Amino acid sequence: MARKLQVSHLGKTFGELRALQDINLAVERGEFIALVGPSGCGKTTFLRIVAGLEPASSGEVTLDGRAVRSPGADRGFVFQSDNLLPWRTVFANAIIGREVAGHVGPAERQRTMELLKLVGLEGFEHYHPRQLSGGMRQRVNLARALAIDPQILLMDEPFSSLDAQTREIMQTELMRIWETGRKTVLFVTHQIDEAVFLADRVFVFARRPGRLRENVAIELPRPRALAIKRTAEFVRYVDHIWRLIEDDVRASVIEEKV
Amino acid sequence: MSQLSDGQAEVVQGGVQSRPASGMRLPRLYLAGVVSVLGGLLLWEVVSRFLVANALFLAAPSQIFSAILALAKSGELWRHMSISAIEFALGYAIASVLGVMIGFAMAESATMKRALQPWVSGLYATPTIALAPLFILWLGIGIWSKVLVVIFLVLFPVTINTEAGLRTTSERLIEMLRSFGASPRQIFFKVSLPSAVPFILAGLKLGIGRGLIGVVVAELFGSRAGLGRLIAQSADAFNMPELFAGVIVLAVAGIMLTAGFGWLENRLVPWTKD
Repeated sequence: MARKLQVSHLGKTFGELRALQDINLAVERGEFIALVGPSGCGKTTFLRIVAGLEPASSGEVTLDGRAVRSPGADRGFVFQSDNLLPWRTVFANAIIGREVAGHVGPAERQRTMELLKLVGLEGFEHYHPRQLSGGMRQRVNLARALAIDPQILLMDEPFSSLDAQTREIMQTELMRIWETGRKTVLFVTHQIDEAVFLADRVFVFARRPGRLRENVAIELPRPRALAIKRTAEFVRYVDHIWRLIEDDVRASVIEEKV
Repeated sequence: MSQLSDGQAEVVQGGVQSRPASGMRLPRLYLAGVVSVLGGLLLWEVVSRFLVANALFLAAPSQIFSAILALAKSGELWRHMSISAIEFALGYAIASVLGVMIGFAMAESATMKRALQPWVSGLYATPTIALAPLFILWLGIGIWSKVLVVIFLVLFPVTINTEAGLRTTSERLIEMLRSFGASPRQIFFKVSLPSAVPFILAGLKLGIGRGLIGVVVAELFGSRAGLGRLIAQSADAFNMPELFAGVIVLAVAGIMLTAGFGWLENRLVPWTKD
C-alpha cells in the first residue's frame, strides 16, 4: 500500500511547555484516522503542524514523500469554527481555495457545485452564512476543504459546536461523503464514540508531554449505520479507549478547576 | 407551514421569509415618532406665540417655515446652500480618500503607525475648528478655508476607523485563508479589506456631522456666502426666523445624509446588521 503521511520524531515546544514529544506514525492512502485524547494532549497542535500552520520544533512530517513546511493545496483543513466569510455566498465561500490557487474556470465552478450538492446544500448556493444553521455552515466548511481536491483532509473537531442530534447526522453524512472518494482523513475529536464510529484506526494521545499512547485498529464493517453504536463490539472499542485516557482526563479536569 | 418548510428546516428564521411581515408593521413603527415630532412642533408653536410672544427670543415653527419659503423664492436659499454644499462635498471627498489611504498605511507598516499615531490621536481630539480664523487668514475668505476645516474634522475619524478595521480582522478568518496557501496580498484583498469596510463606513458616517459643523462654524468666522453666513447675517439683523431657517436646513441636510448612509450600509455590508 502507498504510504501517504509519514511522521517521524516530531516534537513541539511552546516556551517551557512540551506540547508534543517524539511522535512517530504512518498513514496509508485512503485511511480514515481519528485522533483522540484529553484536552491539552496536543492533538490539535499536531494537526496544525501537518497543515503547515504551525512549525515543528523537531522531527519531520512528509506527505507523499515531500517534507511539509507551509500550508499548501495538497491539504484541506476543516476548522472547528466554520470560519466562513460573512460577505460571501455559500458558493463563493466554497470556491475560495480555488481562487487562492489562482484559477477559477468552468471546470472548477462545476466541481464546486457538485460538491455543494454532495454535502447536501443544493439550492443554497446563493445564501449567505448568516442565513444558515450551524450544521449547514459546517457542510460549507467541509465543501470548501474538498473543493481544492486535497491529498489529505485535516478535520479539527468540526462537529464539536453542534448539538448532539445534528452531530450524529453529520457523522453519517461525513461517512457517506467519504465513501464516495475515500480520501485520506485525519480527524481530531474529543468524543470517543465519534472516533470509533468514523475511523479505520484511532490514535490515542496522552498528555504532559503530548505523545502517541496507542494505535487502535477499528475492525467494524463498512458502511456503518448509526445503529452500530449500540453493538457490543462498538462499546468494547469505546471502553478500551476510554480506559487508556481516563486517568489523563481526570487529571486535566482537576487542573482546569484549579 | 410546518410541512412546507421541512426541506428548509435548517434555514434560520428571520431571513428572507420574515421581511413581508415586518413591512406590514412599518406605519405602526413610525407612529410614535411622528406623533412625538408633530406634538413637539405644536408645543413650540403655542409657547412661542402665546407665552414668549416675541419673535426676537423664539421664532414659531410657522414663522420659520414662511422664512424658508421666502428665502427659497428670492433665490437666497439656493445661493447659500450651494456654496455650503460645495465646501462640504470637496472637503469630505478629499478627507475620505486621504483618511482611507493614511489608515491603510498605518495598518500595513508599524513604523508608519508609530510615526503618525501621535498626530492622528492629537489632532482628532483637538477642536481644530478653532483654527478656522487662521485658515481664513492663509487661504482667504472664499471656499478653500472652509474646505480645509472640513478636511481637518473628517480626516481623523476616517483614518482611525480604517486602521482599526484592518487591524482587527479576525485571526481565524486569516488563518482559514492561510491554510489554502494564500499570499499576504491575497489575505489583504480577500479578508482584511472586506472586513474593514463596515469600520470605514462608520468612520465616514461620523464624518458627516463633524463636516457639517465645520462648514457652518468656518463660515461664521468669515465668508461671503453659505448657510453659516446666512445664520450670522440673520443674527446681526435680529431676524430670528431666518436664523432658525438656516439651522433647520442644515439639520435636514444632516439627517438626509446620515439616512442615505444607513441605506448604503444596508446595501454594502448587510452582514453587520443582524
